[in-house]
Amino acid sequence: MVSNNIALGHLPQKEVNQLVRVISTMGLLPILLIVIVAALSIFEPRFLGIFNILNVLRETSFLAILAAGQMLVLIVGGFDLSVGAVVALSSTVMATVMANTLGIMPDEVGLVIFIGVAAGIGCGVVVGLVNGLCVAYLRVSPFMVTLGTLSIASGIALLLTNGIPVYGMPKVFVNGFGRALWLGLPTTVYVALTLVIIVWAIQRFTVLGRYIYAIGGNLQASQVSGVSTKRYLITAYTMCGALAAITGVLLTARVGSGQATLGGDIMMLQSIAAAVIAGVSLRGGIGRVELVTLGALFLSIVTNSMNLVRIDSKIQTIVLGVIVIFAVALEEYGNRRKIRE
Amino acid sequence: MYKDSDQVLDTVISSPANTGEEVPSSSILEMRGISKQFPGVLALDNVDFDLRRGEVHILFGENGAGKSTLINVIAGTFPPDKGTFRYDGKDVSHLTPHRARVMGISPVFQEFSLIPNLTVEENLFLGRETSTSGFLRKKAMSARAAKVIEMLGFDLDPKKRVSSLSRAHQQMVEIAKALLADVRLLILDEPTASLTENETYKLFELIGRLKADGVGIIYVSHRMREIKEIGDRITVLRDGRKIETCNAADVGENELVELMTGRKIDVLFPKIDHKPAEKLLEINNLTLANHVVEDVSIYARAGEVTGIAGLVGCGKSELVRAVFGLEAIEEGEIVVKGEQVSHPRPDISLSKGVCYFPSDRVAEGLALERPIRENASMAALNLADFSWMRVLKKLSERKLIQDIVDRLKLRPPNIERAVGNLSGGNRQKVMLARGLTRETDIFLFDEPTVGIDVGAKVEVYDLMKELVDNGAAIILVSSELPEVLNLSNRLYVKQRAKLVAELTGDDMIEQAVLSCFFQDEEANSNAGA
Amino acid sequence: MSDASVSVQKGQFPRVMALIMRWLMPICLVLMGLGFAAVEPRILSEANLLNITTQASYLVIFAAAQMVVILTRGFDLSLGMCVSSVSVLVALVMTGIVKSDPQSLTLAIVLSVSAGIAFGVLVGAFNGFCVSVLRVNPFIVTLGSLNICYGIASTISGGRPVFGVPREFSNMVYSGELLGIPAPIIIAAVLLVIIHLILTRTVFGRGFYILGSNPRAAKVAGMPSRLYLTYAYIICSVLAAIGAILLTARTGSGEPNLGGSIALESIAAAVIGGVSLRGGVGGIPAALLGAVFVTVLSNGMNLTRIDGNVQMIVLGCVVIAAVFVDRIRTK
Repeated sequence: MVSNNIALGHLPQKEVNQLVRVISTMGLLPILLIVIVAALSIFEPRFLGIFNILNVLRETSFLAILAAGQMLVLIVGGFDLSVGAVVALSSTVMATVMANTLGIMPDEVGLVIFIGVAAGIGCGVVVGLVNGLCVAYLRVSPFMVTLGTLSIASGIALLLTNGIPVYGMPKVFVNGFGRALWLGLPTTVYVALTLVIIVWAIQRFTVLGRYIYAIGGNLQASQVSGVSTKRYLITAYTMCGALAAITGVLLTARVGSGQATLGGDIMMLQSIAAAVIAGVSLRGGIGRVELVTLGALFLSIVTNSMNLVRIDSKIQTIVLGVIVIFAVALEEYGNRRKIRE
Repeated sequence: MYKDSDQVLDTVISSPANTGEEVPSSSILEMRGISKQFPGVLALDNVDFDLRRGEVHILFGENGAGKSTLINVIAGTFPPDKGTFRYDGKDVSHLTPHRARVMGISPVFQEFSLIPNLTVEENLFLGRETSTSGFLRKKAMSARAAKVIEMLGFDLDPKKRVSSLSRAHQQMVEIAKALLADVRLLILDEPTASLTENETYKLFELIGRLKADGVGIIYVSHRMREIKEIGDRITVLRDGRKIETCNAADVGENELVELMTGRKIDVLFPKIDHKPAEKLLEINNLTLANHVVEDVSIYARAGEVTGIAGLVGCGKSELVRAVFGLEAIEEGEIVVKGEQVSHPRPDISLSKGVCYFPSDRVAEGLALERPIRENASMAALNLADFSWMRVLKKLSERKLIQDIVDRLKLRPPNIERAVGNLSGGNRQKVMLARGLTRETDIFLFDEPTVGIDVGAKVEVYDLMKELVDNGAAIILVSSELPEVLNLSNRLYVKQRAKLVAELTGDDMIEQAVLSCFFQDEEANSNAGA
Repeated sequence: MSDASVSVQKGQFPRVMALIMRWLMPICLVLMGLGFAAVEPRILSEANLLNITTQASYLVIFAAAQMVVILTRGFDLSLGMCVSSVSVLVALVMTGIVKSDPQSLTLAIVLSVSAGIAFGVLVGAFNGFCVSVLRVNPFIVTLGSLNICYGIASTISGGRPVFGVPREFSNMVYSGELLGIPAPIIIAAVLLVIIHLILTRTVFGRGFYILGSNPRAAKVAGMPSRLYLTYAYIICSVLAAIGAILLTARTGSGEPNLGGSIALESIAAAVIGGVSLRGGVGGIPAALLGAVFVTVLSNGMNLTRIDGNVQMIVLGCVVIAAVFVDRIRTK
C-alpha cells in the first residue's frame, strides 16, 4: 500500500496525514480505553471487582447490540431515534405475551418463551420496517420518521402496561437465561458477541454489507449502478429495529419484568454516542461494528466509573449529551481538514 | 445478474456471440418523439435518435442543450414523459438503471457514479458482485478487476479508495466499470474532459475495438478534434430539440458550430470594443491550500474582458473563487484596485466592488424557494438603499429591483415569482441582477452560459459588452472555447493548476489553446496524478 | 445542465393539485373540528373555544420558535427540555427571593423572569454555536442539549416540582385580562407580531429564509451566515423560555416534566402549518395554523376521552403524515 502510493507520486506528507487519520478514527479509542481502565484500576480499586466487571460487560453487551443496529442505519445515511422506544415496546410486548400464554399453557414453558421472544423481536422488525418503508418510499427525513415512530412505539408500550411493570414471565427465562452466568460470564455477553460477529461478517463478506456502505456513500451512484437502494435501505432499518428489540428482550430477561421505561431516550442517545465515538460518520458510508463495540465498552466504563464515584445519574445525562456533541464536532472538524488537504 | 461475469473480457477482447443474430434492423436503439419536462425547462422536445451497431454516434450541443437528459433517459435514470424507446428491436418501457445494465446499456457519466469510500475494485463490481448465496467472492473479483484494468492499460491500483484518486483516475474507474459488464451500448459523456492525451489515445483505441465488436457507442462531446477522429454520425441538439443528424464526414467545423448555436458566429458574439485602462485586479503568485491553483499570476484591466480557459479540474474556476473569498489561500497576493487583500471574504469583496457569478446557480447562486426580488437583493441588503438599522426598506427594494429586472429584460417581469419556476436563462439574469444592485466594477463570470438557451446567451454577452463599455473589468472563465476566444481581449490558459500561456490578438485561436492544454503532457502523466 | 440535474426525478406538479395541497391543512382542520363536534357538541361551546384559543396561544409560541430554526434548515429537539429547565429555574429563583423577603415580589418576578430568559439565550447560543461554528448536525446538537437541559432541570429541582410560585404572578400572566382578553392570548399575539416583523422586515430575518433555502448562496452573497444561524437558535430558545414562564404561571409551580411532549408538538405544529423541513419556507401564519390544528386535535381527543397514551400514538402518526405532506408539497 505504502509503496504503491509512492510509486504513484504521492507526497510523503500525505502518508503522515493518513497515519494521523487512522489513529484519529481507529487508534484513539483503544488508547483512550486503556488509559481510562488503567486510571480506574489505580484510583478506584472497586472497578476491578469481579461483580463490577461482570456488570460492565453486561451493560456493554446491551449497548453494543443496540449500537450495532444504530450503526447500520447511520451507515446508510439515516438515523434512528426510535431504538429506545423499541426496547421498551419489545420488553412490554414480550412480557405481556409470555405472561398470558403461560396462563394458557403452563407446561409448555419452552413454547411460551419462544412465542414471547418472537413477539418481542417481531415488534422491533415491524417498527424498523415502518421506518425503512417511510424513508425509502416516501423519501422523508429519517429524523422525522423515527421521531414519529418513537412517539408511537412508546405510546403503545405505555398503553399496554399503563406504566406498570408486567410480571409473570417463566422463571427459567429470567433465572436460567437473563440473570445466568455461562462459564463465568453473563449470557448476554455471548448473545452480544454472536450478534456482533454476524454483523461484522455481513459488513465484511456479504453483498448486503457492501450495498449498505455503497448507499450511504453515494445514494444516487448506487442507484445508477443498479443497486436496488430501497430494498437495502429497508433492510438496514429493519435490522436496526430487530437488534433494538433483541436488546429489549435481553434487558427484560435480566430485569425480570416488562417495563415501558426500559430503554428510553437515554439508550437511544447512548447508541448514537457509541457509534459516533467509534468513527461512524453521520454523513453515511463509514463505520465498523468492531469499533462500535469498543465504543459501547468505552461508554459503559465511563458510566460505570461515574456510578462508582457516585456522580448523580442526572449529571451523567449531561455528560452523555456533551460527549455526543463533542464527538460529532470532532468528526466534522476532521472532515473539513481532509477536504482541505 | 452475477453469472455473466466471465463473458466480460470476451466482450471487450473478442467478438461477442450476438453480432450475427437475425435482428430486423441494424439499429440497436431507436427512439422516437422523446420529450422530458423538468420544472421550468422542457429539457427534451420531441427528439428522435437512433444508434446502429458498431457505430460511434456523437451527441453534439452546448451545455444545457439536452444531451445529459437524453443519455439519462437511455440509461434509465428517469423515464421520458413521451415517446417510444426501442432497444434491439423490442419496445422497452419502465426502464430502470438496473434493467438497462442487464440489457447491456453501460453509461459513463460525467458526474461519476462512484462511491468515494469504497475501493476501486469494489466500485467496479458495484451492483453486480460475484457472490455465492449472498457472500462476496472477493478473490474472484480481485482477479477480474486486475485483468480488466490491465487490459485497458490504465494506471490504476484496484485496492485504493476512490476518494483518494484524482479526477482523471476516477474517470478511468468509471470507464472500467462500464466495460466490466457485457456491453452492447456504451454511453460516454465527455470522457476525455480530464484525461491526458496519452490516456485519450488509449481510450480511442479501445473504442475502435468495441466498434469492431458491434458495440454501439453514444459519445457526448463538443471537442471538434475528437468528433472528427472517432465519430461516424453526429446528432446536434439545441434547446432540447434535435436539429440535425448527419454523417461526420460530410460536415465542416463551422457548420457544426452554427448548428449548435443556431446562428452565425459573428451574430452570436457581440463585437466588444476593448479599451484596456488601469489594472483593477492583480493576482500575484497565488497558491491555494488544496493546490488546485499553484503559483498563478494574472491581472484584469478596466474596459476589457480577460478570459481563462482550461480543462475540467485545472482549477480555473477555483482561481476566481479564491479572489472572491470562497477558497482557502495558502500564499500569494491579491490586489484589488491597488489595495492588497490578504484574506478575501465574500462580503468584503462585494464592498470593494468585486462580484462573482457561480457556474452552478442551483447549488451556489440562488435560493430557489424565494422570490426574484429577494434573490436579486441578497448581496446588497446592508446598503442604505435597502435597509436602515437592519430594518429592510421594502418599497425602495421593490423599486430598485424592478428597475434592474426591466433593464435585463427578464420576462415575465414579475419580481415576486419564486426563482425555482424560472428557466436557466432567467435564473442567470437574476444572478446578474445581483451584480447590478451595488457599485461593482470587477465581474467574475464562472461559466456564465452553462445551461441557458441561445437567446439568453446573446443577452448575457450583450450585458458583458455593456459592462465593458462602461469601464468594468470582466474575468470570464469558460469551458466553451468559442466563448472565451470570441469575447476576451486577452486569454490565459491553465493546465493542471499552473498557468501555461497568455494569448493575445491573433494568437487567440482554438488550435493554440488546445496545444497549450496538452503540452508537457508526457512529463505530467509520468509524474502521476 | 446544472439546472436540470437538480430537478432530476421531479415531475411537474399539476397546478390544481398544488392548490389542493396548499389548502389541505386548513380543510383538514375544519373537517376534524366538525368531526369532533359531531361526537361531542361541547367542543363548540363558547367556553371550550376560549379554552382552545388559550391553549393554542402557548403552543403557537413554541411552534413559532421551532419554525424560526426550521427556516434555517435547522431543528430544535431540545425545546421541550429547555422549557422544563426554565420553568424550574424561574420557580426556584422566584420562590427563593420571596422566601427570603416576602416584600420584594416585583423584584422576584423581574429577576426570575430575566433569569429564565437569560437561560434561554444561553441554550440558544450554545445550540447556535455548535451548529454554526462547529457545524454539527442540528439534530445531534439539540439531541445533546436536550439531555444537558434534562440533566440541569432534574438536578436543580431534585426531580420534584418546585411549589410556592406566588399567586400574584399567576394572576398577572395567567388569569389576568385586558379588555376581556386573557393575558396568555395577548402575550402570544404580541410575540407573534414581533417575530413576524423580524422575519419580514429585518435584514437577518430575510437572512434566515435565504440561508435555509440555499446556505451556499447565502455565503456567495456575503451574508454573515454563522451570526444569523446563531440568532435563529437564540430567538428559538428565548421564545421557548417565554413560553415556559407562561406555563409556569399557569401551573403555579416549576415542573421538571413540563416540556415532555412540547418538542414533538411544536415540530408537528410547524410542519403541519406548512413550514418546509428543507428550509426557507414558512412564516407566522403557518405556525398559527399548525398550533391551532394540534390544539384542536388534542382538545377534541381530551373531550372525547381518548387515553393519553393513545394521544401520544396519534401525535406520532400526525408527525409522520405531516412530513409526508411536506414532502409532496415541496416536490
